[in-house]
Amino acid sequence: MHGSIPKAEALSAACGVASHALVEATLAEIPGLRDCSVPEGVSALPPRFLRHCDEQTVVGMQAVLAAIAAHPEPRPSFTSYGVVAAACQSGRIATAQSLAMLRTAGGVAVSPHIVPQCSLHSVAGAVSVALGMHGPNIGASGGQHAVSEGLFTSLSLLAADSALPGIWLVVSSWTQEPSLDAAGKPECSPPQDACSGPICRALAVALTADADAAADKGISRRLTLLMPAAIRMARPAAHDQTAADEILDFARGLAAGPAASWSHACPWGAEIRLAPHAAVSFASGSQAASRGIPQREAA
Amino acid sequence: MIVIARTSSVGIDREPVVITGIGAVSPLGHSFDAITDSLLAGRTGVRSIDPGEFARESHQFAAAVDGIPAPPAGICPFDVQGFADLTRLEQMVLSPVAHAVADAGLGPHRDRLRIGLVLGLGAEQLKRWELDFLAGGTQVFAPSPTDTLVHQVARTVNLCGPAVTVAAACASSGYAMALGRSWLSAGWVDACVVGGCDVLSPTALAAFYNLRALSRRSDDPAKASRPFDRDRDGFVMGEGGACFVLERLSTARARDARVYGELAGVGVSSDAAHMVSPCSDPTQAARAITQALADAQVTADEIDYVNAHAAGTPVGDAAEAGAIRRALGSAVDRVPVSSTKSMSGHLVSGAAAFEAVACLAAIARQAVPPTLNLDNPDPQCQLDHVPLVARERSVKVTASNSFGFGGANLCLVIREAA
Repeated sequence: MHGSIPKAEALSAACGVASHALVEATLAEIPGLRDCSVPEGVSALPPRFLRHCDEQTVVGMQAVLAAIAAHPEPRPSFTSYGVVAAACQSGRIATAQSLAMLRTAGGVAVSPHIVPQCSLHSVAGAVSVALGMHGPNIGASGGQHAVSEGLFTSLSLLAADSALPGIWLVVSSWTQEPSLDAAGKPECSPPQDACSGPICRALAVALTADADAAADKGISRRLTLLMPAAIRMARPAAHDQTAADEILDFARGLAAGPAASWSHACPWGAEIRLAPHAAVSFASGSQAASRGIPQREAA
Repeated sequence: MIVIARTSSVGIDREPVVITGIGAVSPLGHSFDAITDSLLAGRTGVRSIDPGEFARESHQFAAAVDGIPAPPAGICPFDVQGFADLTRLEQMVLSPVAHAVADAGLGPHRDRLRIGLVLGLGAEQLKRWELDFLAGGTQVFAPSPTDTLVHQVARTVNLCGPAVTVAAACASSGYAMALGRSWLSAGWVDACVVGGCDVLSPTALAAFYNLRALSRRSDDPAKASRPFDRDRDGFVMGEGGACFVLERLSTARARDARVYGELAGVGVSSDAAHMVSPCSDPTQAARAITQALADAQVTADEIDYVNAHAAGTPVGDAAEAGAIRRALGSAVDRVPVSSTKSMSGHLVSGAAAFEAVACLAAIARQAVPPTLNLDNPDPQCQLDHVPLVARERSVKVTASNSFGFGGANLCLVIREAA
């Protein structure tokens, strides 16, 4: 039986997918999203909490709140959840404005919020603080491989810590980077271009550690990581899809219904698959099953 | 059938993960021996620096790095000029990765191993845009898609495993170490290069200054970084960092590699209280410490040294002292604690990795590095301090704390390898 194992899929991990939400907003819409309303049962965000946040934090927070609202009942407490937020080139508008101010007015004019609110950790930190999540909060990627690095980091954390019940994964990017003037202001200024131009896209996904128990709670799908066992892994120099394309592709996979499948290739050769629980069978009586390790039919 | 390990601890082996290679760029030296000598001699890397065109203050001070060492021969496809043509940030990242790989003796074996790369870089994009801007570029206004440094470096050094950037502000490189360890435990890689670093920049200096997080003791820079001291008034920025090669102990022993120490335990948590200020309630920071001890299967009584995050901020140091007291309980009076940021400055993204070097230095030389400028310990920070001079003692098990914006808490337990 094991002789038929494809070498490219020898090691892996899995987790449940409890809920998700995709939120998109234009530059003109983002100011209106800085005042969040929260789903029933969720504590209100601190006053003006998102005032100084980067755009990807604002849209990412809305995605998490929408995914919480969409979570199957009974909704668990997320107090012990971790947060992984993989953003692509976040903080650029604020950085451009800071650099422009640095040149014209010197260091005294640089915003003190630029580091805490507009760096790679900022989306994860804001979600953790706003929603009271005490698991680890980590930013990931920062570039075109946000989906790969975000998913891989999430699965790594869940694999490493058996006490971690789940992770909120947030992946975000602009569909096209807003062009900025010399002062760092977006050139397609609202409201004239309110319905066109760059869109900030964020996808929030609730991942549960216990993929099997999740099936009993209305969680019908799981993510599976298949690691290549080959000695040399693939590492393409170029990347065809943008991060925003990959986020949309992931969101479509999640939205396609409980029977649908989706897969994603990481640049280092790993594959991440979204599949219904039915695709995972248990080899009862086998050594693997006795250790609680599920098995999947080879593709 | 394909055996799939689930995401609980099932399928995760407990074989020790050890450190077999070190590469560093720091204000206190660039080799393990040089850094160890500096730390135990109580040398400071803090000094006045050229304020530059965009400085926040006319008299600026920091722990700066002079001259980033080029990668060793045979690791990168660069000559000296090729390395010199890279940006300062690219040099700062590539150099410790390449030196760690060479130090571990993995250079000739890269094609046959799955070697992962995890870099803790909290503000890579900000620094890249800023360096370009200061050089007259316009990337920040109209960027084109570029690979992040972790993928550039993986290609340059020919590392064929997973490559991920992580960010947890000032704890970033510690989270990179934790993630790499988890990959080894899961069997996803044969070895993993982990760590992180940072570079000084006008924007970061100004932003932290305007946040009132930096010391303003510009009349005497060498005395400015004074963690746990009653007269501390903020931290001193530094630059640099460190990278390590992690392997499973059996792999390291099989190839007779030098083992610097074991990354024995990891604890992580979030305050979930404030984006900038440390939480005055030590519960979550203490939880990260106790998690790390439990993960390493050691008790508080077995800890021989705690390398504190303590950056020298009034609120942060007191909060950490409370967390250490909470986590170590009655053992706290017997466990020496110091902050090497008093010598290195705060390396921000690179701080956790550099402070892991300090723990390995304590194990290697059986001595605890001191906290410089700790003339009058703050009563709010009651601990077994090591003020001013190193303390010789048996050091087998160490713990290193790192905390970051967004409420990120991390503790690593690093001990002498079996």
